[in-house]
Amino acid sequence: MNGPRSYLFDRLVRVVFFLLNGVALYLLLRGHNLPGGGFIAGLASAISLILLSLALGGEAMRRVVRGDPVLLAGAGLLLALGTGAAPLLAGRPFLEHFHVHLSGVPLLGEVHAGTPLLFDTGVYLLVVGITSKLVFVLTQSTRGLRALVAAEERRYSSPLESPIDEAAAREGENHRESAHEP
Amino acid sequence: MNLVILPVLLPLVTAVTLLFWGRPSPARRVLAATSAAAQLTVALALLARTLEAGWLVLPVGAWSARLGIVLVADPLAAVMVGLSSFTALAAVLYGFAEFRTALEHPLRLTLVQFLVAGINLAFLTGDLFNLFVAFEVMLIASYALLTLEADDWDVKQAFPYLAVNLTGSTLFLCAAGFAYRLFGTLNFADLAARAAAQPEDPRVIALALWLLVVFGLKAGLFPLYYWLPNSYPILPAPLAALFSGMLTKVGVYVLLRTFGTVLPHGLTGVHTLLAWLAGATMILGVLGALSRNFIRGILSYHILSQIGFMVLAIGLFTELAFAASIFYIIHHIIVKSSLFLIGGTAALLSRTDNLDRMGNLWRHAPGLGVLFLLQALSLAGLPPLSGFWGKYAILVVGLEQGEYVLVALAIVASILTLVSMLKIWNAAFWADAPEPAATQQDPRGRWMNRVTTGMVLVSLAVGLGAEGVFRVAQQAAARARDQAGYLRAVHAVVTKDAPDRP
Repeated sequence: MNGPRSYLFDRLVRVVFFLLNGVALYLLLRGHNLPGGGFIAGLASAISLILLSLALGGEAMRRVVRGDPVLLAGAGLLLALGTGAAPLLAGRPFLEHFHVHLSGVPLLGEVHAGTPLLFDTGVYLLVVGITSKLVFVLTQSTRGLRALVAAEERRYSSPLESPIDEAAAREGENHRESAHEP
Repeated sequence: MNLVILPVLLPLVTAVTLLFWGRPSPARRVLAATSAAAQLTVALALLARTLEAGWLVLPVGAWSARLGIVLVADPLAAVMVGLSSFTALAAVLYGFAEFRTALEHPLRLTLVQFLVAGINLAFLTGDLFNLFVAFEVMLIASYALLTLEADDWDVKQAFPYLAVNLTGSTLFLCAAGFAYRLFGTLNFADLAARAAAQPEDPRVIALALWLLVVFGLKAGLFPLYYWLPNSYPILPAPLAALFSGMLTKVGVYVLLRTFGTVLPHGLTGVHTLLAWLAGATMILGVLGALSRNFIRGILSYHILSQIGFMVLAIGLFTELAFAASIFYIIHHIIVKSSLFLIGGTAALLSRTDNLDRMGNLWRHAPGLGVLFLLQALSLAGLPPLSGFWGKYAILVVGLEQGEYVLVALAIVASILTLVSMLKIWNAAFWADAPEPAATQQDPRGRWMNRVTTGMVLVSLAVGLGAEGVFRVAQQAAARARDQAGYLRAVHAVVTKDAPDRP
């Protein structure tokens, strides 16, 4: 799996990463009335992270994305729920949204801003977090590396179970040793 | 009106909070239990309000049913939400005894809350696509819970569950698309109004059959139940109680909802088919139970047999039959989940739940024996326990309609249920254990017994206060079948898009 790294791919990904996130931001902002929105923007950003992890490798990726994407997803869910639940305090229906229409804003001209953007941002964070975590864990374990770091292990696995990836890790080490032998 | 969203919102917020909390600790457990108790309170408040008002409608986002999604609570939905909150509370409390805090799986309580959120949304939604979303939330949480503490063998057993439910979800999505193509709406009230206008249309019958397959699969109806009896036994006892209590009953609830509220009442052929499928499920389920030799396996097959009773009542399709079905659901959820918990305690004390190696529990744990007997006899349907009244009502309706064969099948299934319960009783409680030292005292058993005693008391109350419970069931049945009232309630709600336009 860990073949020689491609210089072209490396350089390309560094550019594409920013391009993709620009597209994601665009999709997130236009999603209010046009096709787009938090979900698809989240997927675009997650793809940029996944590409980056392919270029850098899982270990280096951990230094780029500090912290746990699942907690990002949790924060997103909380933001979306909070935006949805806020109207409850005023006795309005769940998920009702409110807008302000500003004209004459410097640089932008007319701006139509509202709480749907907050909700969409929540969805965005949720999708980025979950999708990138899923792929990181899977790629790590298919490469025979431990999928979770120790802090995550305490959060996501039972003290009674032996992690599934432990066997994979052992196999991966054997594989690498035997590959070095000849 | 915002009360309607709380049974979904509370578990979701709790789930995220528990996720951030991370490591299991006693305080985290207190939070989970408090939230479960709060959810039960909300559900009871919802029930009281719906019994009074009939329907509580929440237009999500203040959009009318024409544009948005509505959540509708009627007495049936409120009863189901109450049962799910009750079962979840019992499962959470029982689970505390299973492991010390340090050994608890950190994700279990989180996932249980997600599962409850999905289940409650399925009960409260008034929209076919939203129902699909609720099923997905519920199923994804259940996939994770099923394999959370699983070993290789368990994962193999869980695979059919995953495969069959994914297929079912795909079929459900197709059915929703089909319904939208037919009627141009997915809202239950509007679907009902438009389907009622063309009851003889063969496409409506096709839609009904399609939904029958989808929800029959979720409920575990013959011949679509293969996924259930092998996957449930791999769950730890408290989760098995929650799954066996609620998940298949979501399928039964949705059958009640679609055939009572959404589809035209004139689909006699489909109803007859439903009744006969239910008859087959009753018999085959109980035969499967007799063939099993471990407690959780027997109980898992019993779920199917009992599903047969509930669906038989739906198939008979009078208002009294619906009330009988709802009463049976109330009885069954409490009894079945407490039996799984009692089985879990018995397995803990015997260090196995294989009947060949158990025994003597009556001498070591007489309290557990009494609890088991009460619930087992209730499941089999002996008066004055709750199961008797449920079966009695269903049999009365069956005799009224002249369905003598189905009534005979139901009676045979009840007797065989009693036989298989006695099989557990004889082997686990009465007979001598092959290795006398096998049974041990366990301090955890005491707390477990306290939780199950609470459940048994509720179940006894259902049996002894059967008349009051049956009145609630009758009102729930009347509301669930009142399509015109449902439509009025959904369209009467004030929204911000002009409600007077067609």
